[in-house]
Amino acid sequence: MSLAGRALAIALLALAGAAAAQEVKPGSAFLSPQMQRQQEDEARNPGWLWVEQGEELFSRREGAAPSCVSCHADPRQSLRGAAARYPQVDAASGKLMNLEGRIEQCRADRQKQPAFGYESQDLLGLTAYVASLSKGEPLAVSADGATKPFYEAGKAFYERRQGQLNLACTQCHDGLVGQKLRGDTISYGIGTGYPAYRLEWNGLGSLHRRLRACSLGVRATQFDYGSDEYLALELYLAVRAKGLALEAPGLRR
Amino acid sequence: MASFNARITMPAEAKAGEIVEIRVLVRHPMDRGGQVDSEGRVVPRKILNRLTVTYAGEPVFRYDMHTGVSANPFVSFTTRAVETGDLLFEWREDGGATFTRTARLVVT
Amino acid sequence: MSSPISPTCARPEPALSRREIMVVGAAGLALAGLPASTQAATPPALAELIARVTEGAVPERARITFDIPQLVENGNSVDVAIQVESPMTEADHVRWIHVIAEKNPFPDVARFHLGPRSGRADIRATLRLATSQKVVAIASLSSGSYVMADADIVVTLSACIDGG
Repeated sequence: MSLAGRALAIALLALAGAAAAQEVKPGSAFLSPQMQRQQEDEARNPGWLWVEQGEELFSRREGAAPSCVSCHADPRQSLRGAAARYPQVDAASGKLMNLEGRIEQCRADRQKQPAFGYESQDLLGLTAYVASLSKGEPLAVSADGATKPFYEAGKAFYERRQGQLNLACTQCHDGLVGQKLRGDTISYGIGTGYPAYRLEWNGLGSLHRRLRACSLGVRATQFDYGSDEYLALELYLAVRAKGLALEAPGLRR
Repeated sequence: MASFNARITMPAEAKAGEIVEIRVLVRHPMDRGGQVDSEGRVVPRKILNRLTVTYAGEPVFRYDMHTGVSANPFVSFTTRAVETGDLLFEWREDGGATFTRTARLVVT
Repeated sequence: MSSPISPTCARPEPALSRREIMVVGAAGLALAGLPASTQAATPPALAELIARVTEGAVPERARITFDIPQLVENGNSVDVAIQVESPMTEADHVRWIHVIAEKNPFPDVARFHLGPRSGRADIRATLRLATSQKVVAIASLSSGSYVMADADIVVTLSACIDGG
């Protein structure tokens, strides 16, 4: 490594260290003031169209199966804060489960219905609806006990260089926060706005869809929706965001 | 296609003569045609090409949309409150399908 | 710009390969003789687009406010706000407002029909802009005249390609 290269590497490391000590801000903090206002405006943020769909699905009955609301009566109260506690370890199976996974589990095990499928419009709608019930609630995901090994795996993923560009998440999302990457501003790796309506997608998408785009961006392996890798990463991101308000459905570029 | 949702935001009540703002957000991909989907198929053009709004039976607004209107389009406009009545929103899609919603404005 | 990552963003059409460029180069002379329809169509001049909408009348640059971000975050959804100073009476009102984006594949983007019942000529909408260009808002007045305003906008690319 050249002298200049070594100096740059040291500067990057110093930057990363400085950023880690700072307060982590949500993705919305890096939007224009206009987009920030639009995110908070239920008449304007298109994500609420999916929330509305989810709300309808929540009380829909299919055949003899109970509807979601049959068990989760008064969801505005009973599910307030629930989304802020995901991902979590499922006690029965010992598996790490995010909100999408929990909804699919309820559907298969309790409603005896075929799974919606990750990234289907129905699952996005239901996830957005349940997440919206916790809008404003502080994230409260644990990194201890049964979740500890998953947290460690997620942290290792975040810090590991990968892909043809040989970059770790932390290099940009801690070290270069606030700087420009082509037309966009680099934010902290925080998923509190997901599922989010991205202008680039012209629709609502999950955090895992965003992560797949990140993986592609550094020309690394794209893992499957709901894969162990992205679940562990989602957990790590949620722990990083501890105390930040959940803001789904977010609005993103 | 995904479900058709429309969010119409306006005051429920207004004084006679008052100008009210009506905001409309609707779920539609507004496929402009020629894009390739994830399976490699060419998506034909299918957009909402018109929104017509009547108020107590009288036309008060019309929005002609072409391919340059965004997906899940938003529009806001104003109307003068004249009498208690329904605002009828009717979207027309390429191919002839229509979708309607109503919202009541009470004039005091 | 020095950035650690420069992913190539997805383009609406693939760039020409070197082979294709060579073929075009060799066929350049022959191409000149082909009928116009096989060559890329040049969009009609903006003035012509406006004249088509106003039936030849030249709009006055007055009484219309056209609010659009100069730097567009993503061309998929661009917020515009248009207001026209008008009493909006039977005798004197805005009949419609028409938006032209000269470099969109289809430059006529939208038309908003208003009338005395509108109370105000005050519109907001989300449009789709293919590239950096001049965007024009033209209002047709009940008097038979037209007013217009335009804006030069820059569409920036989003940072990450999305294949996932």
